[in-house]
Amino acid sequence: MAKYAMVIDLERCVGCRACMEACKVENDTPQAVFWMYVFRFEEGRYPNTRVWFLPRPCMHCDNAPCVKVCPVGARYKRPDGLVATDWERCIGCRYCEVACPYGVNYFNWKAPEKNYYLDWKDRDLGPVTHGATPPYKNPDLEKPYGPERRRIAGGGHLKGVIEKCTFCVHRVEKGQTTACAQACPVFAIQFGDLEDPNSTVSRLLKKRPHFRLLEEAGTQPRVFYLGGHPPGGEVRQIEGVKARV
Amino acid sequence: MTARGEASRFETLPYGVGRLTGGWALLVVALLALVGWGAYAYSCQFVEGKVVTGMRNIGTMGGATWGLYIAFNVYFAGVACAGITVAALIRLLNLNALRAVARMAELLTVITLILGAFSVLADLGQPLRALINLPLYARPQSPFFGTFTLAIAGFLFDSLVYLYLAGRRDAYLMARYDTPLRPLYRAWAAGYRDTPAERERHRKTTFWLAIAIIPLFITAHSTLGLVFGLQVGRPGWYSALQTPAFVVLAGVSGVGLLLVIAAILRGYLREEQRLGTGVFRWLGAFLLVLTLAYLYFVVVKVLTGFYAGHHHEQQLTQLLLWGAYAPVFWGSVLLLALPAGLLLLQAITGRWNIPALVACGVMVNLAAIGKRYLIVVPSQTHMSLLPYGPGFYAPTWVEYSIIVGLFALGALLYALFVKVFPIMDVPEEGVR
Amino acid sequence: MGVKLTRRTFLKGAAALTAFVALGRLLDGRLNTLVSTGPPSPSSAAGEQWVPTTCWIGKQDCGMLARVVDGRVVTLEGNPAHPRNRGTLCPKGVAQIMALYDPNRVKTPLIRTNEKGVPGRFRPASWEEALTLVAEKIKEVRAKDPKLILWQKGRSKGGAIYDDAFVKTIGATKVGHGTYCADAGLRAAEYTIGPRGGAHPDFRHTRYLLSWGWNLTNAGGNKLCFITWNQQFMEARERGMKVVHIDPRLRPAGPFADEWLPIRPGTDLALALALCHALIAQGTIDREYLKKYTNAPFLVKEDGLFLRVGDKEQVWDLKSKALKPFDAQDLDPALEGEFTVDGARVKPAFQLFKEHVARYTPEWAAEVCGLPAEQVRRVARELAENAMIGSTIVLEGVTLPYRPVSMMFYHMSQQELGFQACRAMFILFMLLGAIEAVGGVRVDFTWKVDSNYEALERVKVKDPPYDYTLKDSKFFPINSVNPGMIAKMMLDPQKYQVDKVPEMAILHMVNPVVSFTDQPLFLEAYKRFKFVVALDPWLSRTADLFADVVLPAATLEKYEGPLGATDQYTDATAFRLPVMEPLYQSKGELDIYLDLCEAAGLLYGKGGYLDHLNKELGLKDPYKLDLNAKPTVREIFDRWARSQGLAEGIAYFEKNGVWVKGPFSPKKYYGYAQSPPFGGIRHRLYGESLLRLQQEMQAKGAERVYWQDYTPFPTWREPTMWKSPPQYDLTLISYKMIEFKQSRSSQIPLLAELAPQQRLAMNPAAARARGIRDGDEVWVESHNALTGETRRVKVKVELTEAIRPDVVGMPHHYGEVARHPWAKGQGPTPNTLFFAGEGYVTNTNDNSFHVRVRVYKA
Repeated sequence: MAKYAMVIDLERCVGCRACMEACKVENDTPQAVFWMYVFRFEEGRYPNTRVWFLPRPCMHCDNAPCVKVCPVGARYKRPDGLVATDWERCIGCRYCEVACPYGVNYFNWKAPEKNYYLDWKDRDLGPVTHGATPPYKNPDLEKPYGPERRRIAGGGHLKGVIEKCTFCVHRVEKGQTTACAQACPVFAIQFGDLEDPNSTVSRLLKKRPHFRLLEEAGTQPRVFYLGGHPPGGEVRQIEGVKARV
Repeated sequence: MTARGEASRFETLPYGVGRLTGGWALLVVALLALVGWGAYAYSCQFVEGKVVTGMRNIGTMGGATWGLYIAFNVYFAGVACAGITVAALIRLLNLNALRAVARMAELLTVITLILGAFSVLADLGQPLRALINLPLYARPQSPFFGTFTLAIAGFLFDSLVYLYLAGRRDAYLMARYDTPLRPLYRAWAAGYRDTPAERERHRKTTFWLAIAIIPLFITAHSTLGLVFGLQVGRPGWYSALQTPAFVVLAGVSGVGLLLVIAAILRGYLREEQRLGTGVFRWLGAFLLVLTLAYLYFVVVKVLTGFYAGHHHEQQLTQLLLWGAYAPVFWGSVLLLALPAGLLLLQAITGRWNIPALVACGVMVNLAAIGKRYLIVVPSQTHMSLLPYGPGFYAPTWVEYSIIVGLFALGALLYALFVKVFPIMDVPEEGVR
Repeated sequence: MGVKLTRRTFLKGAAALTAFVALGRLLDGRLNTLVSTGPPSPSSAAGEQWVPTTCWIGKQDCGMLARVVDGRVVTLEGNPAHPRNRGTLCPKGVAQIMALYDPNRVKTPLIRTNEKGVPGRFRPASWEEALTLVAEKIKEVRAKDPKLILWQKGRSKGGAIYDDAFVKTIGATKVGHGTYCADAGLRAAEYTIGPRGGAHPDFRHTRYLLSWGWNLTNAGGNKLCFITWNQQFMEARERGMKVVHIDPRLRPAGPFADEWLPIRPGTDLALALALCHALIAQGTIDREYLKKYTNAPFLVKEDGLFLRVGDKEQVWDLKSKALKPFDAQDLDPALEGEFTVDGARVKPAFQLFKEHVARYTPEWAAEVCGLPAEQVRRVARELAENAMIGSTIVLEGVTLPYRPVSMMFYHMSQQELGFQACRAMFILFMLLGAIEAVGGVRVDFTWKVDSNYEALERVKVKDPPYDYTLKDSKFFPINSVNPGMIAKMMLDPQKYQVDKVPEMAILHMVNPVVSFTDQPLFLEAYKRFKFVVALDPWLSRTADLFADVVLPAATLEKYEGPLGATDQYTDATAFRLPVMEPLYQSKGELDIYLDLCEAAGLLYGKGGYLDHLNKELGLKDPYKLDLNAKPTVREIFDRWARSQGLAEGIAYFEKNGVWVKGPFSPKKYYGYAQSPPFGGIRHRLYGESLLRLQQEMQAKGAERVYWQDYTPFPTWREPTMWKSPPQYDLTLISYKMIEFKQSRSSQIPLLAELAPQQRLAMNPAAARARGIRDGDEVWVESHNALTGETRRVKVKVELTEAIRPDVVGMPHHYGEVARHPWAKGQGPTPNTLFFAGEGYVTNTNDNSFHVRVRVYKA
C-alpha cells in the first residue's frame, strides 16, 4: 500500500506562487480559494531582516482533526494517506474548517458559476468552450476515485460544500505527480511514496533535517519541510493574498 | 351555542387558555411578520448561498466561518438545558415554591431546543443533504454528531415526553370542561384517571424522568462544549474549562430568561398570588449563585490567559481585554457584574423587586449572547496558528433577520401554547 | 380514544415526513443540493492530446505542453524536454490559460471614431477594411520617407521575422524597449568586453556571486529569465556558492543572501570603484590577464589619448626596456610606472587607473553608498580569496583559467550613471581576471563579439539636423535609442535639432503610455502621431487613448519563431505552435504582417517581405520562399526547419516541441577558450574613444549634462537627482513582481487576484517619522532636479523591514494597463513619477528609474 507524502524544500522555495496558480488551474478552484497557499515572511529589524517563503498545502494529517469531527464521514482518510473530501456527502457544516489548525479548508459561499473571475458565457467563446465555466474546466474532476469509488477530486465546487487540497488524487491515480510539484520552477515541492525507499521523498527525508508544521498539535502531517524553521511568533506575513468572496 | 356562550365557556378555563385578547392577536401578528421576514432572509441565503452572510473562510479569507448561527445555537441549547433542569429540580427536590414555573420551564426547553435545531440548520451549507445524510452516515465520534443529534434530537425528544407526561394530569382536569379544545385535552390525558394510585404513578414517573433528564442535559451540553473544547487547532477553544463554563452559563441564561417569562406571565395573567415573591426569590437566588459562579470562571480564564506565557492565550486575552473585541467583552462582563450586584443587594436586604429581577434576567441573557459570540468568533478571526494575520466578521442583515425570526418563532410558539394549554399546574379545585 | 404516542410511532412519522420532503426536492429538480450536477464534461482519454508550444507571456519562451481535450485547452504544463524550464512553469505561464480565453480580448479589428487622448470610441471593422486603411497610411508615409514610420516594440518573439524582415521591408525606424530594460549594461559590455548582454555567472562553476540588483525571486536577468537562472542558482548554492546581495531591498534575494549590502540607490558606481581600489591595494589582481587581453598596459599621453606609432597603440616592454607595439610577440608590458617617450610623459592605462581610484577608498564609499566600510572591505577580501587568481581547470581537455567569482546584474543598469557603473563593475572582474573564465562572469551564451565593439569605438558626432532617434548626435553619440527622448524631441524638435519627426507608429506588443517612464510626457507626445496602429490581444491603455486602428493579435494560437531555447549550457531551438485556432477574429502577428505587406504592395518580388524573410530567416535553396506566392505561416517555418536540416520540417516541432542540439562545448562557450582568446580583441579598461567623444561633443557645443559622463575611466559624481531640494528626502526605486509581466498582464484575473493593488514599500522607521502606519494612503511626490517639475500619485503603504529607511519602492505592472474589468482601480504606475530626459537618462540614452520623492499622508 502506498504511503504518500509531500516534501517541500524551504532552501529552494523562491515564493513565486507558481504552485498556487498551477493548483487553481488543475483543480478549477473559484475566486479567493487557495488550496495551495504560499506565505511570504519577514523577520527581524533592518538591516538584520530575513525574508523567506513557506508553501502550505493541506497537510493530509495522519491524526487529522478534520476527519475526527466530520459528522457524516464526508472527510475521511484513505489507506494511502490522502485525506479526502467526498463532495457528494458533505453537508456544509464547516466543522472541519474550524477544527483544522492550518486553515486549509474552503467553503463554497456562493454558486461557483458566479465566482470564476470573468463571464465565461460570452457568446463568442461558446463554439470553443461550450460554456464551460471556467473555460479550462478539467474533465477529470467529476469522476469517482479510489477503490471506494467516491467523488473526491476537485469537482466538488458546489454551493454549500467544503473543499480543500486533494493531493491531486485524480493525477496521482494516473501515476502523475501533483500539479504544484509539477509546476515548481525550482523543484522545491516533491511528492511520492514513503514506502518506496528509492523515491525522491524517501531519500530527501533520510538525507536532510526536516520538520512539520505545528508538530505540537499532534496532527501528524504528511507534509515535511526541509531546511528553514517553523514560523514562530516573530514572523510577519508580507504580500499576503487577502482575496475574499 | 352562541359566541357569547363559547366565550363564556372559555371564561371558565384557567390561566387565560382559549381567551384570545386583542393584545394577544396583535402580538401574534407582529411575531408572524418577524418570522416571515426571517424566512425570507433564509430563502435569500438558500438561493444565493452563504455569501449573503458576513461569514467567510478562516485563513486566507480572514473571516469567521461560524458566526451568529452557531453562537445562538449554543445560546439556545444553553437556555434549553436550564429550563428542563429547573423543572426537574422542582420535581426532584419538591420545591413547591417554584412549582408554578415548572411547566413554563419545560416549555422553554422544548421551544429553545427547536430554535437551536433551526439555527444549526440555518448554518448548514447543504441542509437538505443533512436531513438525509445525518441519519444515514452520522458518526458518533464527531462532537457535532453529539450535539446535533444527541442533544437536539434526543434531548428534545425526552423533553417533549417529559412535558407531555407532566401535563397529563392537567390535561385531564382541563378535559372536564366542555370547550372546542376538549379533544386535544382528552388526547393528551390519554386515559388518565384522577385516582390516588394514578396520581402516585404520575408523581413517580415524573420523578424518575427528572432524574434521567439531568445526566442527559449534562451530556448534551457537555458535547456542545466539547465541539469547541477539543479543537487543538483553535486557541481560545482548546481548554478543559470550556465545557463546565458552558454548563454554568447555560444555567445563567436559562434561569434569567425564565425570570423574564415568569414576570411577563405574572403581569399578563394577573397571577400575583401564584407567581408571588416566593417564586421570584428562589429564581433570583439561583441566578445569583450561577452568575457568581460564571464570573468566577471568567476571572480564572482571564488570569490564566494573562499570566501564562503561552503566546496564543496571551494574544487572545489581549484581544478581548483591549483589542478588537474589547467592547463586546467588557459589555458582557458588565452585563453580568451589574445583575450580580443587584441580585446580591436584594439577597442581602431580603427585598426582592420584580422589575429589578426582570432587568437582571434580560441583562444576563444579553451577556450570555455576548459571551457565546466571544467564544465562537475571535478564535477564528484572530487566533489562527499559522500567521495569516487578523480577520474580521460582521454579520449581515440576513443573519440578524434569521436570528430575530427565530426569537420571534420562539415567542410565537410560547404565545400559542399559553392560549392552548394551562401554563401552570391547574389547582385541584379547577376554575380559578 | 387517543393515540398512544410511543417512540416508535414518533420515529415512523418523522421518517415519513423526511422522505416526503426529500422526494419533493428531487422531483422539483433542485438536484444541486442533493446530488452533484453540471453538464456532462467532454470525455478525456478519447479526445485528448498534448500540444507542444512555448509560453507567450514571458521573456524566454519556456517550453509548454498544452493539454487539449476535444479542442479545448484544459491546462498548460512545462515541457520536460525544454532546457530552459525542464517541465516547470512560473505563475504567469500557468495563468496565461485564462488570458487565452479572456472575453475582454479585442475580438475584431477596431477603427477609432473619436479624438485622441481620451478613451477611444471604436467601431468594429473587417480585417480587409482595417488592413487597407493601415496599408494606405504606410504607403503615404513611405512616399515621404519610410523612416518616419516608427515600429515600436515591447517584445517581438521572433527577431528575424518582425524586427528585421518586416522593418527592413517597410524601411521603418525600429525602436525597442531596451532603454527601459538593461541597455546601459549592454552598451557597457559591448564597449568594454565585446559581447552583447549584461552579466551573468557561469553557474556550474562559480562559488561567489555578487547579486548586484538582481531580482532573484521576482524576475529574470541577463539573457534568460526567472526559471532557468533559479534552477542553476539552486544547484550552485547546493554546491556551496556564497551570495552577496547588493540592493536597497532585501526582498529580491529572499532567503538566499548570505550577506546584504543595502546600498543607497544610484551609488553602485561608487561601490564598484571602491572595490577596485581595495583589490589594487590588496595586490590581488590578475596581472597576466590585464597585460595580455586588455588595454591596461597601453601607454597614455598627457592629453588622455593613446600613444600611437603609426596606427598602433604602444606599450613599455619590461623585458627589453623599450617601447613596443602592443601586439608584438613575447612581451612583458608594464602596468605601472611613468615613462618618457620623445620628451612626452606617458603612463600605462593601468597606472592611470590606479591613480584614478586612489581616492575611492572603502571608507569614502561607505559614506556615499550608506554602507559599513567594513562590509565593503570584507567583500573585496572575499572576492580576492574566492577568485583563485592564477589557477586553472581542465574542461573537456581544454585548460582554462579558473576564477569562480561572478556577478549578476541586469536592470540595475538603468540609472543615471548606469553605463559607467556597469563599466566599473566589469572592470572590477577584469582586475580579478574573471571575465569569461571558468566560474566567472559571462555576457552572452557563447563567445561572440558584437558589432558594437567596433561600432561604438568609431562613433563620430555628426552635424545637425539629426535623425529623430538622435543617432550620431551631439546629445547621445552612444545611443540606445530612447522612446522617452523621442517623445521629448517630438514636443520640441528644434531643441534637439531634428527636422523630421515620426508621423506613424506601429505598436507591436507594447504599451508605451504605461510601460515607459514619464507618463505625462507620453500622453502628450503620442497625440503628435498622425496615425497609430496597435497590434495587441487587449485594448491596451495606449491603444485606448491613441490608436487609430487596433488589430487583434492572438496569444498562444499562432506559429512564431524560431525561438532560442538554450539554458546557457545546452544549444536548443523551439517554436510557438498554435494550441487552437485563433480565438474570435484574432490573428498571429506574422499573419497580420503578411496580410499588411500584401495590402501595401510590399509582399512580393525583390525587396518585398518574402524576400527579406528568406534572408533574415536564413532559408536555403531549395526551401526558399517563392517570391510570388503568398505562403501560410506554417509553410514559412516548415521551410525554415528543412533549411536547418530537419527532414520532417515543422512537423518535428509539432511532435517534440523543442530541438535539442546538444551541450555547448567549452571551446565555443568561454571567451578564454577561443583561438586566440577573446577572438583577439582587447578588453577596454581605458575608454579612449569615450574621451574623444566628449571632446567632439564639447566642440559641437553640447551642454555639460550630455558629455559629463563620457570619461575614459568610470568617474564618480553625484547623481543629478540629488540636486532636488532637501524636503525630497527619499529615493523612489521600482522593481518587478513575479506575478506580472511588464504592462500587459495585470488584467489577467488569476494573477491580479494574488496582488490586486499597487503598494508603496516603506521602512517602518521612516513611516513612523512621518506619522504613517501600515495600510495608510499616502501621496508620493517626485521632483525633477533640472526642471523643477513635480508629479504625485496616491498609493497605499505596505511597511517592510527589508528596505533602506531613505528608500521607498513601487513595482511596475499597474496603472490600468488595459480596458478590462480587472485592470480598474489597481493603483498607479511608478512611471508617472519617473522622468525622461536630461538628468534622468544615462550618457548612452538609457532611462533612469530613480527619482527623489517625498511621502506624506493623504
